[in-house]
Amino acid sequence: MNKYIKCKMPLIYLVLTIGLFLAIFPYLWMVLSSFKVSGEIYTRFWPTKLTLGNYAFILKGGTGQERNFTGSIANSLIISIIPTISVIFFGMITAYSLRRMKICGYRFFENLVVYQMLFPGVLFLIPLFLIMRDWGQINKHSGMILRYLIDPWAIFIYIQFFKTIPESLLEAARIDGASEFKIITRIMLPLSKTTTAIVTLFTFMARWSEFLWPLIVNKDYDKMPLSVLLALFTKGEYQTYPGVQMAGATLLTLPIVILFLVFRRHFEEGISFTGLKG
Amino acid sequence: MRKNLVSRNNLISYKNFGRKNLIGYIFSSPFIIFTLAMWLYPFLWGIVISFKKWNLISPKQSWVGLENYLGVIKDPMLWVMVRNSIYFMVVFITITTITSLGLALLIKQIPKKYAGLYIAGFLLSYVSSGVAYSMVFNLLFAGDGLVNNLLRIFGIKVGWFTNPKIAMASIAMIVCWKFTGYYGLFFLAGLNNINPTLYEAAVIDGANSWQRFIKITVPLLNATFIMIIVFATIISFNLFTEPYMITGGGPMNATRTMMLEIYHRVFGLLQAGYGSTLAIVSAVITFIFVWAFRKLIERDDIYE
Repeated sequence: MNKYIKCKMPLIYLVLTIGLFLAIFPYLWMVLSSFKVSGEIYTRFWPTKLTLGNYAFILKGGTGQERNFTGSIANSLIISIIPTISVIFFGMITAYSLRRMKICGYRFFENLVVYQMLFPGVLFLIPLFLIMRDWGQINKHSGMILRYLIDPWAIFIYIQFFKTIPESLLEAARIDGASEFKIITRIMLPLSKTTTAIVTLFTFMARWSEFLWPLIVNKDYDKMPLSVLLALFTKGEYQTYPGVQMAGATLLTLPIVILFLVFRRHFEEGISFTGLKG
Repeated sequence: MRKNLVSRNNLISYKNFGRKNLIGYIFSSPFIIFTLAMWLYPFLWGIVISFKKWNLISPKQSWVGLENYLGVIKDPMLWVMVRNSIYFMVVFITITTITSLGLALLIKQIPKKYAGLYIAGFLLSYVSSGVAYSMVFNLLFAGDGLVNNLLRIFGIKVGWFTNPKIAMASIAMIVCWKFTGYYGLFFLAGLNNINPTLYEAAVIDGANSWQRFIKITVPLLNATFIMIIVFATIISFNLFTEPYMITGGGPMNATRTMMLEIYHRVFGLLQAGYGSTLAIVSAVITFIFVWAFRKLIERDDIYE
């Protein structure tokens, strides 16, 4: 029995470390390959010499094809940052008005929030495309952004969090003459740091990686986000440039990995709130 | 007593009931407008289009009744796609449940400070972007890619994405890679919610570790299992980026999913009505599976 316990812990660490290696191996290979010369990508794991050629190639826009990758990174940032800020802002004021101000019919609206989370997105794809077209939003940043300005999931998790804030705190502020909007910005916002970190992380991640929607509503190469431009580039004329592909994949992965590492602390705490995000 | 206090406080601060509602409605009006414009309106329009024949461009839209629905159901491709999704679902749910539950059980046993590091490492795969990891795996598992180069030592060569029998399983493995850490975190939260005295009592009663796992851990993780199976079902029927990037629906339609077909029908062949119908059918099939899974494994009355 004693002997069993003694070798149990090292075994656990061994299995976990092997698992961890498998989990991060694709990343490792991606980053290494992006610095390799094309002959070594399939044949060697550790490169014998490093090159920045793949990055230079992709940032210059490939050979002959003027594909603006630098611009596409800016496009990706635009269509990720604007919805993230908007989702947080509207998520907060909506959740506050429903849960803490309890406007007439708040129960109905809260149910509506849940229904919107549960309805599968596939039902909305085609009609939303048609609406964007009717509104003249095709080939525009706004067309890629509009449908993501409000996220019922964010409203839902703010509602869950606002439930836990004691009413006495808000009463004190109201007696001091604070307006409802001031209560949101001065009391609710600082208190809901973890929730806001989770909303920021998930929303930015989803918008940055978004593929299908910008593929549909935008055909203009100059407005494409990195994900779409990279996908078309890979499936098209650059199938035989693995190093360049991996440089692009690294550029696409880097911002969300950085964001994740920054907000990592909040991720675990927030997991009970995010119970409904697939 | 507590209840009285709250309602009295409300009375003091909300002397003016109408004003409170006015401000509240100003706050939630963007949400209400958004719901009408981006949710209710497209939802209804989607249903309307499914009864029409329309090429997206011409002003002529003709009502065709149930023709699209009959077309979708009669099309043998529908059953190919449903079969593909079920294949994906079986592989994905089986493997991902084993890996993520295993991960959670292991992490639970190591000290917190190391656990955090391992969790962060495993979650890195969850935050990666669909296009990026599809590109990476496409090269890793290519015919002459790294994995086949390793397998060549044993004299094996596998057509991960070119053999129709295993292409969908390969894609399921990639999605497992993505979700293991994330679902592991849910299982870990579930494990932490189990009262440790239950295990102590079981040990006193002489239950071995396997019996404790089957009789305590698995039943008490029921809610987590349900959640993960529901997520996995939705993912199975909404798969798009991975097959689009790696196989394009091939080989021999083995990885064709309903999302790919909807995209192809609407934006390739301009069949708006048919595509909308397919979207509705796909949503209904997803609902049926989710409902069936919950019916099958959901329990409310565990050791109350």
